[in-house]
Amino acid sequence: MRTVKMELTYRYHKDEIEISETPTDTDIEFEIWISAEKHWAGIKAVQKFFEEDKVYTDVLFYAYENHHYRVIVRRDYYVAFILGLLKQHLIEAAEWV
Amino acid sequence: MEQQAIWAIGIFLVIYALIISEKVHRTIVAMIGGLLMVGLGIVDQETALHHIDFNTLGLLIGMMIIVSITADTGLFKFIAIWAAKKSKGNPVSILIALALITAVASAFLDNVTTVLLMVPVTFSITRQLRVPPFPFLFTQIIASNVGGTATLIGDPPNIMIGSAVKELTFMSFISNLAPIAIIVIIVYVPIFILLFRKQIKTTPALTKSIMDMDEKELIADHKLLRKCLIVLGLTILGFFLHQSVHLESATVALAGAFLLLLLTGEHMMEQAFTKVEWTTIFFFIGLFVLVSGLVETGVIAKLAAQAIELTHGNLVATSFLILWMSAIASAFLDNIPFVATMIPMIKEMGNMGVNNLEPLWWSLALGACLGGNGSLIGASANLIVAGMSGKEGHPIKFMQYLKYGFPLMILSIVVSSVYIYLRYLI
Repeated sequence: MRTVKMELTYRYHKDEIEISETPTDTDIEFEIWISAEKHWAGIKAVQKFFEEDKVYTDVLFYAYENHHYRVIVRRDYYVAFILGLLKQHLIEAAEWV
Repeated sequence: MEQQAIWAIGIFLVIYALIISEKVHRTIVAMIGGLLMVGLGIVDQETALHHIDFNTLGLLIGMMIIVSITADTGLFKFIAIWAAKKSKGNPVSILIALALITAVASAFLDNVTTVLLMVPVTFSITRQLRVPPFPFLFTQIIASNVGGTATLIGDPPNIMIGSAVKELTFMSFISNLAPIAIIVIIVYVPIFILLFRKQIKTTPALTKSIMDMDEKELIADHKLLRKCLIVLGLTILGFFLHQSVHLESATVALAGAFLLLLLTGEHMMEQAFTKVEWTTIFFFIGLFVLVSGLVETGVIAKLAAQAIELTHGNLVATSFLILWMSAIASAFLDNIPFVATMIPMIKEMGNMGVNNLEPLWWSLALGACLGGNGSLIGASANLIVAGMSGKEGHPIKFMQYLKYGFPLMILSIVVSSVYIYLRYLI
């Protein structure tokens, strides 16, 4: 289990998924590698949710081979994105710092 | 002039001014204008209904349903990312590739729908490359209006002209307007490169991030995609054949839409119907009734007579008058109400003895479609892209657009004048 700290802390199973964050001026860039097949549909569901929400630049997904995703998240949508991951069980828990 | 005609002109001018001012949504204004024409007895309800062109509305609704379902498959994102990779991640090549995709898609889907699909994927690519979105959005607006010029279904003015003049089939639009649309795009491409190449530089690492993307991941539903491609193909084939099978283009588009809904199942229907732009449909309905007031009271016939008097019925002068007047008017007014007014006027010119109306129809189509590029408020596609961009924190300023758009529009009308003259008038 790995814990990441930002405005929120969140935990996930490192043997199923790996998440890294890089803040830029306006965004947080996530790199997500998903090794557990059970999460493949979950990340697609998160992507679908943010693509259908009428805000085009809130959370942008870029898919690479081997279930590797780069996700550019606008700072004001950081919490919404983390909660989206939580809803799909891609992360185990999230709490305010 | 009769009292009824004076009332009709008054209502028309006030409604037109309100549409231009954009203080109240143009759909509400146009519908109120239409209702005033009926309410004040300038046209009766039966006559007003007769003037509402179902072919225009049916074609728009049918295509909106087909495209909204197809968009859910991820096809358009796939094409954009595939093109970006084929461009080796180079921002200038991507800019041109996306503009060309927009032009081709606009010709066969309609340009308003096309920009709705292209803008989100453009934001995605420009954010990835960390380049400003304006050059990409601007070139797509221009390309959507040029591409839309090429076919009967590409741009609302063409849909309206094609519906009003039965002899102008899908094929005749392609054979008369596609060549000039291709010429204009060929002229524009080097200008786009010169204008924007310095503004859209990126780093090798960001270029690589585009090249490494897996575009196949973007296809969300392969089964649905197959159904959509079959129906889209059949619909476009139907447009090519519509005259020989004696079907209107609206029948073809609606048949395609409901065949797709039959194949996809009931669950898609509600969703597809919510994506139809009902505001645009009602805007057209209001305009058709508004213009019917001018037609029925003889105002349009009077205007046509004056235009013929001005040009002494000379075909060259009349064609150029319509081309340039349509272009300048469409640059600063919405081209849809302008074309709605011009159609009965050109028909009236036919009644007054102008034998060969064909150059006039193509002049109107070219002027209204290409003229829409002249300013940010010139065409529906421009307003939609500007609205979407502004909402995402990248507003497109009126003057910022005009600086590039107006000279490009004038250039396209000069090229069109030569084309019209050489092809139809000598």
